[in-house]
Amino acid sequence: MASLTATLTRITRRRIWPRTLIQIFFFAFIALVSINHTLAESGAGIPFLSSASLHALCPFGGVVSIYQYATTGTFVQKIHDSSFILMILVTFLAVLFGPVFCGWVCPLGSIQEWVGKLGKKLFKRRYNNFVPLKLDRVLRYARYLMLAWVLYMTAVTGKLIFADIDPYHALFNLWSSEIAVGGVIVLAVTLVGALFVERPWCKYACPYGALLGLTNLFRVFKIRRKEEACKNCSLCSRSCPMNLPVNTARVIRDPQCISCLECTTEGVCPAPGALEFSAGGK
Amino acid sequence: MRLTAKPLALIILAVLFGGVMVTSAFNWWTTESSKVPAKFTEGEAAGQYNPADIRGSYTFGDIEKNFAVPAAQLAAAFALPAGTDPASFKVNQLESIYEGPEVEIGTASVRLFTAFYTGLPYDLAEEESYLPRQAVEILTALGTLSPERLAYLAAHTVDLDAPAAVETALPVTVEGTPAPQVSGTPNAEHTPQAVDGTVRGKTTFQELLDWGVPQERIEAVLGGPMPAPGVVIKDYVTAQGKEFAAVRDALQAEVDAVLKK
Repeated sequence: MASLTATLTRITRRRIWPRTLIQIFFFAFIALVSINHTLAESGAGIPFLSSASLHALCPFGGVVSIYQYATTGTFVQKIHDSSFILMILVTFLAVLFGPVFCGWVCPLGSIQEWVGKLGKKLFKRRYNNFVPLKLDRVLRYARYLMLAWVLYMTAVTGKLIFADIDPYHALFNLWSSEIAVGGVIVLAVTLVGALFVERPWCKYACPYGALLGLTNLFRVFKIRRKEEACKNCSLCSRSCPMNLPVNTARVIRDPQCISCLECTTEGVCPAPGALEFSAGGK
Repeated sequence: MRLTAKPLALIILAVLFGGVMVTSAFNWWTTESSKVPAKFTEGEAAGQYNPADIRGSYTFGDIEKNFAVPAAQLAAAFALPAGTDPASFKVNQLESIYEGPEVEIGTASVRLFTAFYTGLPYDLAEEESYLPRQAVEILTALGTLSPERLAYLAAHTVDLDAPAAVETALPVTVEGTPAPQVSGTPNAEHTPQAVDGTVRGKTTFQELLDWGVPQERIEAVLGGPMPAPGVVIKDYVTAQGKEFAAVRDALQAEVDAVLKK
């Protein structure tokens, strides 16, 4: 109990502590449901806790099912109504706030961040700066290729092709027979990569992040920088997990922003009102 | 309008969990398959359910409901372990209980069996599927298969060590449950089972054969041809309108005679 209190105290000392709590909550929730799914299949499920499959709780399953649903009226195998509903809810949140699903909810993003904290301790300021800028710029387009490949292959085959290499699926199936070797390999590479680069999967490979990131172009609430209040300290850019040049922009429209709010005045920015998450205005 | 982390956190929770609650209230929130396969949209079978859309989460009971293939027939075809309830047996459990080095008996096998059993169209080039010999015998006994389908079966039959000796309640995918092994190559010779020698309510004809009782002796007791070996004796005898106890005793005598030799 004392250690729990100490942990909570440590978390709430952070400026964006609600995000940390939400991340822990969703990580634990998905892990519990996934474990319960395995238990339920052997007749030992925990009562009062959902035993839905991981696919049923993944909004990206709804995205890859759109084509099949439109053409045949059925879902891709293993995908259910719940995936569609979650897709709609996450899209609604993204239109309002950008990819908050990535920055606040996605357990794979969270675990990359947590592994990244170890990387920060190991490499200090070199952390998250290992990839040369030119290469980084090119690699960031890879997730769009991944999105196109996943959508095309799923439409053609009618199967959940992505599950075979999905690190998120692997993370919560390490104990089950549903685990795919490809997914484990990608997960391992992702977590090792997270020691050097913050959120490597999100930056370079996540197809759902690629799609949700597009909402940054027109989201209602945007991260805005007031030049007149800015002290040009660059703390915002240095704290950005996605390495965005926040200190030179007026409005963050980059599709890579995950709306984590770490850069804002509520986060690291020392200048009151210089960086805020707001609606209205240009 | 400015938004900070606390209200944003509450909004995220409210939208996600509120959305789930609202859609649940309207019965839209489902995390399991409706167990209703897609229908053919063209051709002679238009409007009928497509066996290629059978999912691993379907039970044999779901297949019986959608395709009128008796769950007991499926259980016999895939030689389910003794004590298994066919109606609640999930198709994807087959992959767990039949582990083979070269071929897989799983969801694709059930799709193939269902398509051939019902005579519905099935794209054989879509995925290569194998069936246990018991399933093939049931299908060929129907007498409705085209030469092309018979040829396909001839090249896609595997002999299984029937899991009849496994005494387990559902589900059978529990770790540690002995898994019946698929013999190394398709059409390989059948490997005899360990001798048990007691005819029970769940004993199959295959077990009698494994114990060394000749087929003609079994047929003599039955007073007619023996069905597919994977069929449970009691199910068959009862379906024939005979008293199981009498047949069981006669078959037990045959078994005892063989084992005494």
